Amino acid sequence: MIHMNDVMKVYDNGAIALNHINVDIKKGEFVFLVGPSGAGKSTFIKMLFREVLPSSGILTVNGRDIIHMSNKDVPYLRRSLGVIFQDYRLLPDKTVYENIAFAMQVIEAPRRMMQRNVNNVLDIVGLRDKYKCFPNQLSGGEQQRVAIARAIVNNPAIVIADEPTGNLDPETSWGIMDIFKNINASGTTIVMATHDKTIVDAMQKRVIAIEHGEIVRDEARGGYGYEH
Amino acid sequence: MSINTVEYFIREVIHSLRRNNWMSVASIGTVAVSLFIFGMFLMLVMNMNKMVDAMESQVQIMVYLEDDFSRDDARDLEVDLKKMQGVEKVTFVPKEEAMEKFKERLGDQKTLLDALDETNPLPDSFEVMVLQPEMVKTAAENIEKFEGVNSAKYGQDVMEHLFDITRLIRIFGFALMMVLALATLFIISNTIRLTVFARRKEIAIMKYVGATDWFIRWPFVLEGIVMGFLGSLIASVVLRLTYSGITAKIYDTLAFFPLIPEEPFLNYVTMIVVIGGMIMGAIGSTVSIKRFLKV
Repeated sequence: MIHMNDVMKVYDNGAIALNHINVDIKKGEFVFLVGPSGAGKSTFIKMLFREVLPSSGILTVNGRDIIHMSNKDVPYLRRSLGVIFQDYRLLPDKTVYENIAFAMQVIEAPRRMMQRNVNNVLDIVGLRDKYKCFPNQLSGGEQQRVAIARAIVNNPAIVIADEPTGNLDPETSWGIMDIFKNINASGTTIVMATHDKTIVDAMQKRVIAIEHGEIVRDEARGGYGYEH
Repeated sequence: MSINTVEYFIREVIHSLRRNNWMSVASIGTVAVSLFIFGMFLMLVMNMNKMVDAMESQVQIMVYLEDDFSRDDARDLEVDLKKMQGVEKVTFVPKEEAMEKFKERLGDQKTLLDALDETNPLPDSFEVMVLQPEMVKTAAENIEKFEGVNSAKYGQDVMEHLFDITRLIRIFGFALMMVLALATLFIISNTIRLTVFARRKEIAIMKYVGATDWFIRWPFVLEGIVMGFLGSLIASVVLRLTYSGITAKIYDTLAFFPLIPEEPFLNYVTMIVVIGGMIMGAIGSTVSIKRFLKV
């Protein structure tokens, strides 16, 4: 699913964000990306959906060559990915239903598919009865669930989450992790950057630790490995 | 493009025009003013061209004779002129008749001629008509070679002046149109920029979920085109009214002035103005959205 071979990222100001990264993530894996702030997690995540372009090396995501792909192919790469952010990024003037349907609308999905898929993902995240609400009428956890629903409504092969529980209390975070577990169980690959020690330790999934732009640890069933 | 998508685009455009209503009105107004001025110049230049054409199609040559040329010699000359190739008609105008005509033309101001003390400074002349306008120049040159002919005029001075004036108007009009076009582009792109800026989060989300650049761009481009279209409609209506008004005024006083008739001329002008407005709207909005697509 994701293949990185000797990937480097040097920003214009000369800062080395990622240094000789080699990673293979297979279909259906659940991977935590851990490490201190500024270690390169965000760069790692952003390269996957080509918001950041690697400086050198080989990077393929879902069979697509990220470095050599043309700009006009980027939308099609992103349609095979679901992206979730710490700050949810919902549209405040659209309802829950509209926010999710929006992701299908803008890739010109057929309308009959739209209603079925949106209802389906609303069930998965448990917000069927709140489909008419606006984001400001929802709690943080509920908003993040809408964001997850939007990320998976187009059936992506990979879900990429950048600190999805960063703004949530522990209990709410567990609700979110349950949803991720379910999505993963249906065969979707998940890559999640996080600072949440409790979650990483409890889930016992693959952990990739990045420090100073380098992978310092890659364990199949690991813990968070840092003290707060 | 599916019907679903077209519907979405139209909704977005209406929504956005409403959201920035004052800016939209200002943009539409600017487009209207620019295109109105553009249209006025267009119509002016086209009418000038028509006038030049009308001058060029004249077949008359005025042949002025030397003062000491006798009437008998003039009669011989008339015969010679009639024999020339391409000459259709020759009319003799004695100096007395020329004076009468001149007095008529002066009207109330004919007292000016009292200063002449009954002397007549005007020469005898011939009005020579040739068959085709292209023959005028050569014929006039040949006629000037005849003995007793002082000069042969065919409105060339007037025409040269007209050319000068049309050239000036064209250059000035072109420069003004460029400035106005730039101003219009600037205003439209600024309005669209506001819309785009207000919706930058939405655009970012669209990019993340895999919308193509053109899908994102279309509503904004359409919005620009709609603004250009509405502005050009206003300009066209005002242009039509103005032209009708002006032609009516001119025909009242100068019945034979060679203006271009309203139909179908005004339809062409309207078409050019409307298409011009839409193109400016499209360019203006495309320019302003470019920056926001880099996510």
